[in-house]
Amino acid sequence: MKGNAIGHIGISLCCLAAAAGIQGCGASGNNGKTEIEIVQYKPEAAGYFEMLEQEFNATHDNIQLKVSSPNDAMTILKTRFIREDYPDIIGIGGDINYSYFVDAEILADVSDYAGLQQIKQAYRDIDEALELVPTEGEYAVPYVANAAGVLYNKDMFAEHGWEIPQNWSEFTALCGEIQSEGILPFYFGFKDTWTCLAPWNAMAVSLAPADVTKQVNRGETTFAKEYREVSEKYLDLLQYAVDDPFAYGYNDACTAFARGEAAMYPIGSYAIPQILSVNPDLNIDSFVMPANDDAAKNTLNSGIDLQFCVMADCENKEAAYEVLDFLYEEENIQQYIDAQIAIPCKEGDFVLSPMLDGMTGHIAEGRMTDYQDHYYPSEMAVDAQIQTFLLQKDVDAFLQKFDTDWLRYNRDIIRLVQEYERTHGN
Amino acid sequence: MKEGMTKKTNWTAMVVLILGLSAIAFPLYMTLVIAFKQPSEMTNSVSGILSLPKTWSLDNFREAMRVTDFWNSLKNSLVITVLTVVLSIAIHSLMGYALGRNKSHSKFYSFVYLFIVSGMFVPFAILMMPLAKQTAELGLANWFGVILLYVVFYMPMNILLYSGYLVNIPMALEEAAKVDGASTWRTYWKIIFPIMRPMHATVAVLTALAVWNDVMTPLVIMAGSDQNTLPLAQLNFQTQFGTNYNLAFASYLLSLIPILIFYVICQKQILNGVVNGAVK
Amino acid sequence: MKNERKRTFLLITIPILALFVCFNTIPLIRGVIYSFTNFKGFGSYDWVGFRNYIDLFSDGRVGKSYLFTFKLAVVTTVVVNVLSLVLALALNSKIRAKSFFRGAYFLPNILGALVVGYIFNYFFTYILPAFGAMIGSDAMSSSILSNPDSAWIGIMVVCSWQAIAMNTIIYISGLQTVPEDVYEAGGLDGATGWKQFRYLTFPLIIPFFSINMVLCVKNFLMVFDQIMALTKGGPAQSTESISYLIYNNGMSGGQFGFQSANAVIFFLVIVTVSVAQMKFTGKKEEQL
Repeated sequence: MKGNAIGHIGISLCCLAAAAGIQGCGASGNNGKTEIEIVQYKPEAAGYFEMLEQEFNATHDNIQLKVSSPNDAMTILKTRFIREDYPDIIGIGGDINYSYFVDAEILADVSDYAGLQQIKQAYRDIDEALELVPTEGEYAVPYVANAAGVLYNKDMFAEHGWEIPQNWSEFTALCGEIQSEGILPFYFGFKDTWTCLAPWNAMAVSLAPADVTKQVNRGETTFAKEYREVSEKYLDLLQYAVDDPFAYGYNDACTAFARGEAAMYPIGSYAIPQILSVNPDLNIDSFVMPANDDAAKNTLNSGIDLQFCVMADCENKEAAYEVLDFLYEEENIQQYIDAQIAIPCKEGDFVLSPMLDGMTGHIAEGRMTDYQDHYYPSEMAVDAQIQTFLLQKDVDAFLQKFDTDWLRYNRDIIRLVQEYERTHGN
Repeated sequence: MKEGMTKKTNWTAMVVLILGLSAIAFPLYMTLVIAFKQPSEMTNSVSGILSLPKTWSLDNFREAMRVTDFWNSLKNSLVITVLTVVLSIAIHSLMGYALGRNKSHSKFYSFVYLFIVSGMFVPFAILMMPLAKQTAELGLANWFGVILLYVVFYMPMNILLYSGYLVNIPMALEEAAKVDGASTWRTYWKIIFPIMRPMHATVAVLTALAVWNDVMTPLVIMAGSDQNTLPLAQLNFQTQFGTNYNLAFASYLLSLIPILIFYVICQKQILNGVVNGAVK
Repeated sequence: MKNERKRTFLLITIPILALFVCFNTIPLIRGVIYSFTNFKGFGSYDWVGFRNYIDLFSDGRVGKSYLFTFKLAVVTTVVVNVLSLVLALALNSKIRAKSFFRGAYFLPNILGALVVGYIFNYFFTYILPAFGAMIGSDAMSSSILSNPDSAWIGIMVVCSWQAIAMNTIIYISGLQTVPEDVYEAGGLDGATGWKQFRYLTFPLIIPFFSINMVLCVKNFLMVFDQIMALTKGGPAQSTESISYLIYNNGMSGGQFGFQSANAVIFFLVIVTVSVAQMKFTGKKEEQL
């Protein structure tokens, strides 16, 4: 009888262990094919990647491609990194997370990838600038860029004879005029805090130095000095916005703009597909945010929206490159930029969406500057700080907090940079 | 006086209760109505909000099922809940028995008892990050790992319940069995386990409700594994509904229906179980 | 025979204890260890000593989340207990369709908090303002979730809506332990209505009151799902609960180490509050 007891417990423990073991190593090995898993962070492009996945698998016998496009992918990716469960390729934006991943040495050096040579130098430079300290090698292949400025309802503008503003005073005058005609100039979806960053970035590129964060890290300037004008002008915009913009989310704002409830929506080009999904007939165009009083100083806010990185943990780099080759085929990129209204990072003859017409001049001239928030540490939650600021409308308090928080959250980065400069003699 | 009281209905109480009931019913009514409407029927006027849908079409539900992969999520939720409950009853009652019978006269057992029961105070927040790492290291970042964690999380509470209940079961019963030559193990399964049936019901109800509705554990442990439980599917697909609130509400309603059905069928057992657990 | 019994108990206890230690105690210890690092969750990390703990006490965001969580827990506990008591008294009096009412009142408690939160989110954003506009109230015509001063009320309402069910049921079972003749005796002394409740009923259900207090405070201090569904911590970070902050910044915000320190402090807070509560209510019960 006693043996029975031992047996029972023993068996149940064995079951636990066995089940654990089976689950643990069940992932690999799939009828001889190499499995490549991509996790990309743009859920709105899920349909496109699903289609590519099918097409790829139908034409390649040696590789089984699996693309997932989860909602809130960054959290999922980081949770998986905590678990040391790495996909083969990740599709992420060119932002601080990329900087962290490079610093953590979890990305593979892809400078030996032939396709990289066909990527526009400007975007490769952006990726290099994003590295916390200069690092040997390249760790990402830029795919597409986006641009943030002001989206406007073209028909509404034509109907009322409104002109595209070139500088800040023309812009505020236009807003006043729109308002006086009983139309709402802007809709905002500030309930989703990240949307607070869109106008902020679009204005900051024209009002603050492009490398302001690095200057601050070197102790050469403060945000209180560089961001004052941006903050004040942001508050000016609020008076032309929907009442209580904090009640609505991004989806609500896109829907309202799509239904013609507002003349303009200061957001990135990435919002266009969402807007068109509500009202496919809407005639949208865009213009560069004219934040500076000097029209010549207004630059387009544009950064890498999607790039692919091979993980250091990837066992079959060649297969991963084969997948990349496929992703970067010109017709596939064209399809992507048509669907998502994006700007390709690859050299070549691509047709840009007419909805970016107002920005093509800047794009062609290369008058573009990367998003400032791509350098903000995510745990500092600058988006929420801006939201707080827009609610409290206290410029001084906001900027002071920005400066103190910056030093605290970037301590480790600042130390890293200083150490680097000490050892590299400048 | 007593006679009079039993006959007269307390109308003040009835009014309070009916008012309170409307506070419960109203959100559920709205959920039902919105789930059946079409986006074009959504207006911002009060009468429009309250009105019934023009047609009672199931299209929203069909679409919501497709988007959230409903049947798969339902299956995962069911598997996790049922297995957790079964394992909890088996393991926790056994442990409750071992600790309950020995903690009064053994330092070791009373220490183990206190050690486990004080686990009740450990918030999931402190465990979540190390557990995310640890379950992955052990190859448990899946539904099986989630079940195992539930068995551990609810252990303090359930052991408290079981060993508390054991006090009411006289030792004489066991001694009688022992005289017949049965082992302790056998005595437990043949005599004690069946007697603890009311507590099994309580443990089953409390554990099942908590597991069924839990978001955080599967969120942290299974994120990115393509395996959703019902609440996790709601969280993950929230943005895919966009501003199609009708679709979203159809999906909400779908995720509520299984537990609603369960509640309607086993209402009495659930209420008894919950009261038992809380008051013990 | 005695030995057989001892051995069986040990054989039961040891593996289950091991399981518990493996998935409760060890992660707890690991959490404490991580709290002394600047670990982001991936990559390499350094030991930083007590820096995280020092930062914790100077971090406005963390401080705010503690204030918010405690405010929410205290107010919700009071609201829930008052309303549950009223409902329990009503449900325990001579009414019709008693079992129907009991069943209906418990319903919110079985529904998932996340989905309930989503439903109320819509309710607060669109339906309530529509009613506000109809009755011409300015204050009510905008969403209460969009204002940092009122967003917590929305969360309080949703938490209460669900929690009242449980507490009511517990109070009812408390009221049922009060024998009829107590009222009869009280009635002779002229105790009716409020007096009857204050001096006769309430003292007798104090144990149930303490259960409810402990349950409420502990649950609301750990509030997470409702925040996730209603506000995601906003607006202006005014509704970040401690659990939400730990999850959000620890898992996705790259503050694994720092939030581990936060979690350790949170753990100590929960233990302190629970122990204090049990001591307090224990004393009260003795007095009465």
